[in-house]
Amino acid sequence: MYILIVGAGKVGYFLARRLCQGNHTVSIIDKDHQICEDIAKELKALVINGDACDPKILEEAGILRADVLAAVTGDDEDNLIICQLAKEKFNLQRTVGRVNNPDNEYTFNELGIDVPVDSTKIIAKIIEEEVSFSDFVNLMSFKRGKLAIVRVDLPSDAPVINKQIKDIDLPKDAVLVSILRGEEVILPKGDTVLKPGDDVIALTLIGNEPQLLHLLAGKL
Amino acid sequence: MYVIIVGCGRVGAELAKLLSGEGHDVVIVDKSRDSFSCLGETFNGLTTVGNGFDLALLRQVGIEKADAFCAVTNGDNTNLISAQVAKKIFRVPKVLARVYDPQRAHIYAALGLDIISGTMLFSAMLRDKIIESRFSSYLIESKDLGVIEIEVKDELAGKTIQDINIPGDFIVVALRRMQGVIIPEPVTVLKKKDILMGVVKVASLKAVREKFHLGEK
Repeated sequence: MYILIVGAGKVGYFLARRLCQGNHTVSIIDKDHQICEDIAKELKALVINGDACDPKILEEAGILRADVLAAVTGDDEDNLIICQLAKEKFNLQRTVGRVNNPDNEYTFNELGIDVPVDSTKIIAKIIEEEVSFSDFVNLMSFKRGKLAIVRVDLPSDAPVINKQIKDIDLPKDAVLVSILRGEEVILPKGDTVLKPGDDVIALTLIGNEPQLLHLLAGKL
Repeated sequence: MYVIIVGCGRVGAELAKLLSGEGHDVVIVDKSRDSFSCLGETFNGLTTVGNGFDLALLRQVGIEKADAFCAVTNGDNTNLISAQVAKKIFRVPKVLARVYDPQRAHIYAALGLDIISGTMLFSAMLRDKIIESRFSSYLIESKDLGVIEIEVKDELAGKTIQDINIPGDFIVVALRRMQGVIIPEPVTVLKKKDILMGVVKVASLKAVREKFHLGEK
């Protein structure tokens, strides 16, 4: 694949380095002359020094041959406009835009960026999961936030303790994916019995999260 | 009208004062509180500190009720995003964005945004001021029609408006002379040093220039 990366900060640089190791053609654009020189020495990528909001710079970086553009600068406005230029002016099918401020994710979606990647939110989520502030964690969202994988830690007084899965009346559009019991990973079947301290991983429509939590952990 | 302006620089502040002075309800948004100082003490609209495409802030200033939205910050990208948010997410009836970069102005105008490019307008105005028999394409927002100014010299003096109009291609709409500006009748007689203002089809511009022996120096 031909991948065009805009922004050679930490994210752009490591992305380019990884993609160069695979069998991809990579070109990278950055405004900073020194950064461009350093990267050109190190990576087997086409490096263009310039402002990617300028269509000529995008052309120089080979956007007409590119399969994907990833705009990963630290500036949400730039990322959004660059993705739009790629789509509207150069008819690129797939654009990935880094969202630095989680408040802007909705705007990225609405303004036609194919894959907004909210780096801040992702890092915050991972930390939240590791620290485990609560017994309910949204691990991942898909489909523009319609579908989620969640983790529910069952307290000892949860209403589903010692019940078989087939006897639990799960909300519509929610599925139990796996149960983590200590080091053991259990793929749930109808006769699997839930124990206190189990971590239940479930796939659910976003709207059903509260019902699922109420059903499994007994709280809202 | 209820108007939201994003960016309180010279243009934003001036626009806010103009609209507010004419009795419109104005909210002006800027990232920095300090920039509101140029509004002066007589400004009676609202000022809000924040980012012009922050959805929560825009809802808070009542964007859902706004009749018009105008993004005039110093950042082209900020303006383009703010305008798209106003138009696509909040469906504000009239949305304008200032864009310095002519390339981006062209691209986003083609995508249906109402773009004002100060760079293009101003350079066109300067060109028109420099070139004699100045032709201005910016007064009428169309690529097909423009306004031309012609100074009446010996060969046109004494002719009437109906003598020099070219139906379908060129029509004189105003006449500037010593006493002021008049809207001429077909029988109005031209005097030397009058300045004609006419509407001309861009396609006929060359023919009109030739007819009146106007050089494009």
